Amino acid sequence: MSEEAPAARRSRWPVAVLALLGIVIALAGMFWFGRASVVGSVPVSTSADAGFLRDMQTHHEQAVEMAMLMRERTDDADLRAIAYDIATAQSQQSGIMYGWLQQWGLDQYGVPMLWMQGGDGHPGHATPADGGGATMPGMATREQLAELEAADGARAERLFLELMIAHHRGGIEMAEAAERLATQPIVRDFAAKTIAVQTAEIDAMERMLAER
Amino acid sequence: MTEKSQSPAGAPKSVKQQRAARREEKVAQFRRDQARRERNRRFGIWGGIGGGIVAVAAIVALVVVTSLPPAPVVITGLQTFSNDATHVTGTVDYPQDPPAGGAHHAAWLNCGIYTEPVPNENAVHALEHGAVWVTYDPALPESEVEALRAAVPSTYAVVSPYPGLGAPVVVSAWDAQVSLDGVEDPRLAQFIQAYWKSADAPEPGAACTGGVDGAGRIA
Repeated sequence: MSEEAPAARRSRWPVAVLALLGIVIALAGMFWFGRASVVGSVPVSTSADAGFLRDMQTHHEQAVEMAMLMRERTDDADLRAIAYDIATAQSQQSGIMYGWLQQWGLDQYGVPMLWMQGGDGHPGHATPADGGGATMPGMATREQLAELEAADGARAERLFLELMIAHHRGGIEMAEAAERLATQPIVRDFAAKTIAVQTAEIDAMERMLAER
Repeated sequence: MTEKSQSPAGAPKSVKQQRAARREEKVAQFRRDQARRERNRRFGIWGGIGGGIVAVAAIVALVVVTSLPPAPVVITGLQTFSNDATHVTGTVDYPQDPPAGGAHHAAWLNCGIYTEPVPNENAVHALEHGAVWVTYDPALPESEVEALRAAVPSTYAVVSPYPGLGAPVVVSAWDAQVSLDGVEDPRLAQFIQAYWKSADAPEPGAACTGGVDGAGRIA
């Protein structure tokens, strides 16, 4: 015993130091990864959060454009109300999304729809060769917008409802991707609310379309 | 430590004395070991603290370095201005050509691609809403014009010919402008990155649709 004990003691203190170092590094690492991935952190420009906030602004802007076109083309109280609702709500939401990017110091510009090609096996809709015209789900074409612009009365109403139902479905698809891929709780909550509201509006618009 | 007897001095060492000597030797050994343990313990503590400080400093340095915003790209030849934003009804004599901000009409130009020159007074209102305006020399070959149109975002951008332009392409936003050597000039992408929907515009995110179309709008 008296021969072995000192040797055993000698080999003990470096182990203690290493263990302590390991604990410190592990704690610091957990702190850093926690900070970098969840609360109080700033998402990077290539994150799904930033991509969603940019592309959903563009998506919302077209909904506003269509809703304003509709409101100028009908006297129907229900359609004027839902058009007003969509135009003002989605303008406000675009401002929120703009503001988060600004607060996080991120550019408003990013190549559209790259974030939805992220590694969840869900195909995106981007054509990266295109400098910025990548199509987003549910977006109306220039020709469809021109058709709406040229129409009036019941025909404009039906066209608007069809286009906006498709637009909302595309918006929900994007918001569902953001719910899966975004790291910021505030962005995921925003996406969840968007899904709930647009699902309800689709129901309402489908009833309105059935009446026409 | 339960010694019961003392051996007389000078006498040959009895068994008891030998035991006592061994005991003393053991005590001395114990003290040496204790001193070494104490030394090692201090090494361990201070080594651990020192190592911990180094590790924490390294992590903090990593966090700080990785969270610093990337250095902004310097756009060579960029000009910036300080224009006001009043509404007028007539034509405006702009200090920049093409205009990069200033007085403008109540109606904004709808963003999109135009084959004809667009009215300055409406286009400036689109700049106020955060649009980027890409103007090109009408003498540019059609293939280059097509490349230019493809390189510009589908919203919050106006592309139009501009007679008398002093460069193949000039790209403008509110209070910012750069003349480009051609459609492949990398500064086009840099300018779009920096100024598209820029927070430097008076009303970024205000609509670039629902205003007025100029002549020759194709997208």
